[in-house]
Amino acid sequence: MSIVIETQQLSRVYKTYRRNEGGWNAIKGFFNRQTELKMALKPTTLSIEAGQIVGLVGANGAGKTTLLKILSGLIYPTAGEVRVLGYKPHERKAEFLRQISILLGQKAQLWWDLPAADSYNLLAAIYDIDLPRARKEWQELAERLGCAGQLNTQLRRLSLGERMKMEIIGSLLHRPKILYLDEPTIGLDVLAQNTIRTFLQEYVKLHQPTIILTSHYMDDISQLADRLLLIGQGEIAYDGTVANFVHHAEKNLKLDIKSEETDFEEVIHKYFAQESGRGTASRPVPT
Amino acid sequence: MRRNLAAARLAVLSQLEYRLNFTIDAVIQPTLSGVIEVTMWSAIIVGMGVDSLGGFTREYYLAYAIFATFVGRTTANWMYEFNMLDEIDTGKVNALLVRPISFYEFYLSQFIGYKLTVALASFVVPVAICYWFKAPMLIERLPLMLAVVFYYLIFAHTLSFCVACMAFYMNRANSITGLKNLAIWVLAGEMIPLDLYPEPARSILVHSPFASGVYVPVGFITGRFGYELVWQSLISVTAGIAVTGFIGSLMWARGVRSYTGTGA
Repeated sequence: MSIVIETQQLSRVYKTYRRNEGGWNAIKGFFNRQTELKMALKPTTLSIEAGQIVGLVGANGAGKTTLLKILSGLIYPTAGEVRVLGYKPHERKAEFLRQISILLGQKAQLWWDLPAADSYNLLAAIYDIDLPRARKEWQELAERLGCAGQLNTQLRRLSLGERMKMEIIGSLLHRPKILYLDEPTIGLDVLAQNTIRTFLQEYVKLHQPTIILTSHYMDDISQLADRLLLIGQGEIAYDGTVANFVHHAEKNLKLDIKSEETDFEEVIHKYFAQESGRGTASRPVPT
Repeated sequence: MRRNLAAARLAVLSQLEYRLNFTIDAVIQPTLSGVIEVTMWSAIIVGMGVDSLGGFTREYYLAYAIFATFVGRTTANWMYEFNMLDEIDTGKVNALLVRPISFYEFYLSQFIGYKLTVALASFVVPVAICYWFKAPMLIERLPLMLAVVFYYLIFAHTLSFCVACMAFYMNRANSITGLKNLAIWVLAGEMIPLDLYPEPARSILVHSPFASGVYVPVGFITGRFGYELVWQSLISVTAGIAVTGFIGSLMWARGVRSYTGTGA
C-alpha cells in the first residue's frame, strides 16, 4: 500500500485576541489589542496508507479539526512538513483539490438558496465532470441515501438530516481519492446516523477512498474506522486499531478501567474525562 | 469558461428565487433615485433662472440623471461585497478554498452574471424615459456604453475583493463597503457630472478609473462628449484593475496564511 498522507513535525499555533471583562477593558482593547498564541497542534508525525479509514478522536479543542484543516489545505501549518498525494495541501493546486473532498458537519458547503441539484450542476462544472455522468452519479447517490425526492427542494427548506445527505453527495460527486469527514453525523437522529454509516461503508467498499473521519459518536468510529488516532492536548496519544485501544488505555494511558468496562465508547469517555481534568488542549505558547 | 458560466448561472438562479428583492434592486430603487435626481437638477436650473448649467440644458441633466442612477446601480457592488466579506468572516469561504476554483474568479463570475440580468431588466427604463421626454440620447452608442460598464465591473469586483480581504485581518469590516461606495458615488460622477467639478479635481477624476463607473458611459450615451474619453477610460480601468489586482493578491496571500478556517 502506498502512503498518501505524510506529516513530519507538523504543528499549528493560533493567535487569538484576548480581553478581560468589563467596560474599561473594552476601551483599552479598542486602542491596544492583547493577543496570545495557542498551540492547537503539537509537532505531529504520521503517515496514512491509501484506502485506510482513519478515525480521528479527541475531546473538543484537542486539535483534530486543526489537523484535518491542514491536511485538506484550508489552513497553513505553522511549522513542519505535510504532503498529501505528493502535494503540499496549503498550496491549493487545482490538481490536488480535484482529488480531495472535505465535509464539515457543522458548516454547509452547498448553496443555501438553491435546490441541491443546482449546486451539483455547478460542482460538475467546477470539477469539469461531464454533466450527464454527474447527473447519473448524484441520482444514484441520492437513491442510496434515500433522499432522491428532495434533490429539487431549496436547501434551506430541508431538515438537518436531509441537508447532510445532500452535503455528502456534493462531496463525493467528483469521486475524491481522499475524503475528510468532520463530524458527518453531528446533530442527526439515530436513524439518519445509521443510514449515513451504512452508506459510507458501502461507498468505501465500492470506491476505496482514503477517509479521515472525526466524530464524537463512537459508533461512527467503531463501525467505520480501521485505524484509530486519538488526539489529546494537541498531540497523538494513541495510534492503532480500535480493538486494541481498550487494552492499550489500561496499560499506557493510565486509565482506571474496571474489569466490566471493556466497551470502546466507555473507555474513550473515561479518557476524555481524564483529559478535561488536565485542562484544555490549547496551551499558551511561551513568547 | 464552463465553470464561470455555471457560477454566473448560479447567481442568476439565486437572485430569481427572491422576486421582490430583485425587482426593487433592478428597477424600483434606481427609478426612485432617478426621480429625486431629476427633481434636484430641475430645481437648481429653475431656481438659478438660467437655461443651461455648465453648457448643458435641462434636458441634458434629465438624461444624465436618469441614466446615471441606473448605470450607478449596475456598477455599484453592495451585495456581493457583503457576501464576500461575510464568507471570509464566518468561514463559509471554506467551501471554496477546498475546490478547484478561486474565490476571486467564483465571485467575479457571479457578479457579472447577476449584473447582466440587472442590466437586461433595468436599462429599458432610462431608454424609454429619454425617448418619451425627448431627452438627448444616442441609442447607437448603447452597445459600446454597455461594454464600458461591463469592463468597469471587473475593476469594481477587484476593488471589492480588496475590501473583502480585510476580513482576514479584522472582524465585521462591513462598514468599509458603505464608506467605499459613498466615495465612489461622488468620484464616479453619479451625484454631480464630473465636468462640473473645479480644476484640477475635474481632470483628475475624469481620468481616474472611477469615471467609467458612471460619468463616462452616461456622458457618452447622452452625447456629452465623443469617443475619445471612452478609449481613455478603457486605459484607466485597465490600470485600475492592475493596481487593485496586485494589492488584492498580496492581501489574499497574506490573509490565507493567517486564516484559521473559522467555524469548522
